[in-house]
Amino acid sequence: MTAYYAQLLANGIFAGSVYAMFAVGLAMVYAVFKFINFSHGELITWGAYLALMFCSPPFSLPLYLAAVPALAITVVLALAQDYLVYRPLRQSNPIAILIASIGLSYLMRNAVRLFWGSDLRTYELPLSEGLVIMGIYITKTQILIMAAALVFFVILYLLLTRTMLGKSLRAVSDNMELADIMGIDMKKVTITIWVLAAVFAGAGGILVALDTSMEPMLGMNSLIKAFAAVLLGGAGNIWGALLGGMFIGIAENLGMAFISPDYKDFIAFAVIIILLLFKPKGIFGIAGGVR
Amino acid sequence: MDYLYHILIVCLIYAVFAQSLNLELGYAGLYNFGHIAFFGIGAYTSALLSLSGVPVLLAMGIGACLAALAGAIFSLPALRLSGDYFGVATFVFAEMAHLFFLNQRDLTGGPMGLPNIPRPGFTGSGVESLPYFLAFVLGGALVTWAVLQRITVSPFGRALKVIREDEFVAQALGKHTFGFKTQAIVVGSFFAGSAGALWAHYITYISPSDFSLQETILVLLCVVLGGKGTNWGPVLGAFAVVFFGEFVRFIPIPPEYTRFVAPAQGMAYGLILILMMLKRPQGIIPEGRRSRKC
Amino acid sequence: MLTLNQVSKGFGGVKAVEDVSFTLRETGISGLIGPNGSGKTTLFHLITGFYVLDRGTVHFQNGRISGLPPHKISQKGIVRTFQQTRVLPFLSVLDNLVAAVPGQLGERLFPLFFRPGKVAREEAQNREKAVSVLETINLIKMKDAPAGDLSYGQQKLLEIGRVLMADPELIILDEPTAGINPSLIRNLVTILKDLRDRSIKIFLIEHNMPLVSELCDEIFVMDSGRLIFSGSPGAVHKNEQVIQAYLGRESEA
Repeated sequence: MTAYYAQLLANGIFAGSVYAMFAVGLAMVYAVFKFINFSHGELITWGAYLALMFCSPPFSLPLYLAAVPALAITVVLALAQDYLVYRPLRQSNPIAILIASIGLSYLMRNAVRLFWGSDLRTYELPLSEGLVIMGIYITKTQILIMAAALVFFVILYLLLTRTMLGKSLRAVSDNMELADIMGIDMKKVTITIWVLAAVFAGAGGILVALDTSMEPMLGMNSLIKAFAAVLLGGAGNIWGALLGGMFIGIAENLGMAFISPDYKDFIAFAVIIILLLFKPKGIFGIAGGVR
Repeated sequence: MDYLYHILIVCLIYAVFAQSLNLELGYAGLYNFGHIAFFGIGAYTSALLSLSGVPVLLAMGIGACLAALAGAIFSLPALRLSGDYFGVATFVFAEMAHLFFLNQRDLTGGPMGLPNIPRPGFTGSGVESLPYFLAFVLGGALVTWAVLQRITVSPFGRALKVIREDEFVAQALGKHTFGFKTQAIVVGSFFAGSAGALWAHYITYISPSDFSLQETILVLLCVVLGGKGTNWGPVLGAFAVVFFGEFVRFIPIPPEYTRFVAPAQGMAYGLILILMMLKRPQGIIPEGRRSRKC
Repeated sequence: MLTLNQVSKGFGGVKAVEDVSFTLRETGISGLIGPNGSGKTTLFHLITGFYVLDRGTVHFQNGRISGLPPHKISQKGIVRTFQQTRVLPFLSVLDNLVAAVPGQLGERLFPLFFRPGKVAREEAQNREKAVSVLETINLIKMKDAPAGDLSYGQQKLLEIGRVLMADPELIILDEPTAGINPSLIRNLVTILKDLRDRSIKIFLIEHNMPLVSELCDEIFVMDSGRLIFSGSPGAVHKNEQVIQAYLGRESEA
């Protein structure tokens, strides 16, 4: 019996690490720019599809190489979004930037549909072998996902704590005006945040598509989980978002022991509802403050 | 002629739907991106009831009321959240509703949906009933309009605008902001549910894909185009959106390209939202600023 | 009147307000002064319910108000203005005032539909009242203009007008004269004195010292979150601690 739960837990950890990647990107954008980017899901989708494009003729690169230009273009997309749409709207009414992000989401998702159609696509790699470790069945793909996520998070940690750039990011997320006055290069910070968000989202998208398949709603479907994770972790709290993502992944999979698989997504929703009712600032959020 | 009836009916249904969203978004300033959920609840409830023999008009009424109840229940936890997060909550709620429609097969028919939804008795059924149904929807739209006008051109509507613009001032002036917002959501959800019920009995076949987050952008577009702060702005927006959607049919497109039409339309909708926010966020019909009689 | 007891509030380790206790005089105008950052506005937010107290209580007319939400505190008769003017720019000047009347029948859905006559009558009454307030504050000529068209000083006057619409018992003003020109200040002072004579209690934050001496019957001084002095305007100037608090800031600058 424990083997069953252990399996669910393992599945949960793998799923959670991908959710964590999505959530961290979303949290970063919120931390610095103070808005929820509804088009974050499309960076996920585009990352996956661009990798598909580089895997297919005429490029025909192996996936791990295809990922590089794919992520580069995803970054360009994110920067273009910011430059053309978000930056002009930063001083406007907050609703404007939210609606614009919904518009961008629609635009980008339908662009994917236009170029690649709505059918399910895969990277057409040979089926991954499974290993059995301590009674738990794990595929090589899942190990790869876990490893990739780990690498990304370690790099992020080092970036945030060891570099000047990282310190600037933290200062800006604390108090943007003050950071600006203190001479922090806002342009550099802006670019860095979008690069990070796009890389985490795009890479996460490739990993999910690798594990299962992709279709234009890939990002949208993951976005809800990312929202739940960010809410769980508290406003703009990057590491909270990471933990939130892991929590949701594990809760979802363990929950399968009790409810029908169709309603798996409901677990993420239930998390959100419970949080909203009892702790709207998230588990790691800041307490008190203005009503 | 039948086609004209069809377009007008769809425009009017969307006009009701858009006005209901406008009450929440344009007047109360609530970022409701999941309004489609209440449209869907109204549609499914009315459809299911009438399929079990309940008279259509009664079923529609109950559908609208159930949508309103859902709105009330939703606002309890959700209104604790500020702006952006409230938007996320509405998004999530819409997704939950969609999933529910999709998975509760015994109740909602699952992905196959509900066919053979009856039209109201007095309109008859089939193509001959169209003009009568149009009259019916027109009546509904006018009632909606009248009710919402009364609500918005009034001290209540004024208080909503105050809350929208500056919640702190509203509180300092003694307005119970939570109560106002809840009422806006309940009324908005009621009319969204009525629009959904009208839709179900017009189209006579509904399925979960009619009520996904994709559809939410259409009604959002109506309000964004039409402008907040007036009731007829979103009505105009509704007509504009429906006409744009339909006129594309008349463009001669070679068969190899037909599969591009829907995504291209989707891209256009997204682009319009973006451009509106960048160039004319207040919408095409501006909000009145001078003193008004309440 | 208003009584504070050991009111305290901190933000992530910084003590914005610490152990402040005092009781306002029943009548007249009371002033709150102190160097920048001493916690005055925070204290006002705490009194009016916009911040939640960490510790302590606030009582008004023998009823406890600490812990109540801002709109409830406003309904009890304490009405406030903010440091930055917060008029509603898209509403007309007149509508800004009419909107400020608390407990309007027309703000409830049921009366809107089932008692339309009564709603209309009440609205007419409120509009008349707004017109008379506009005459008092000398903004009657701008009555139909969007409030956003007013000058900064005029907007501040409008905020006072808004407060009057609510028939308050206690008016809390956060820097009412900041940023407005001397002639408008005179106007404002006349209005405040008139309110005082009508037995409306006023509690204000001010930086303009001569004005404080002219207007206030009692003064409270805050420094670094604490109350360091309370007493008459005459005594304030001679108090060592107060002088240190202000001078100390200047020498640090």
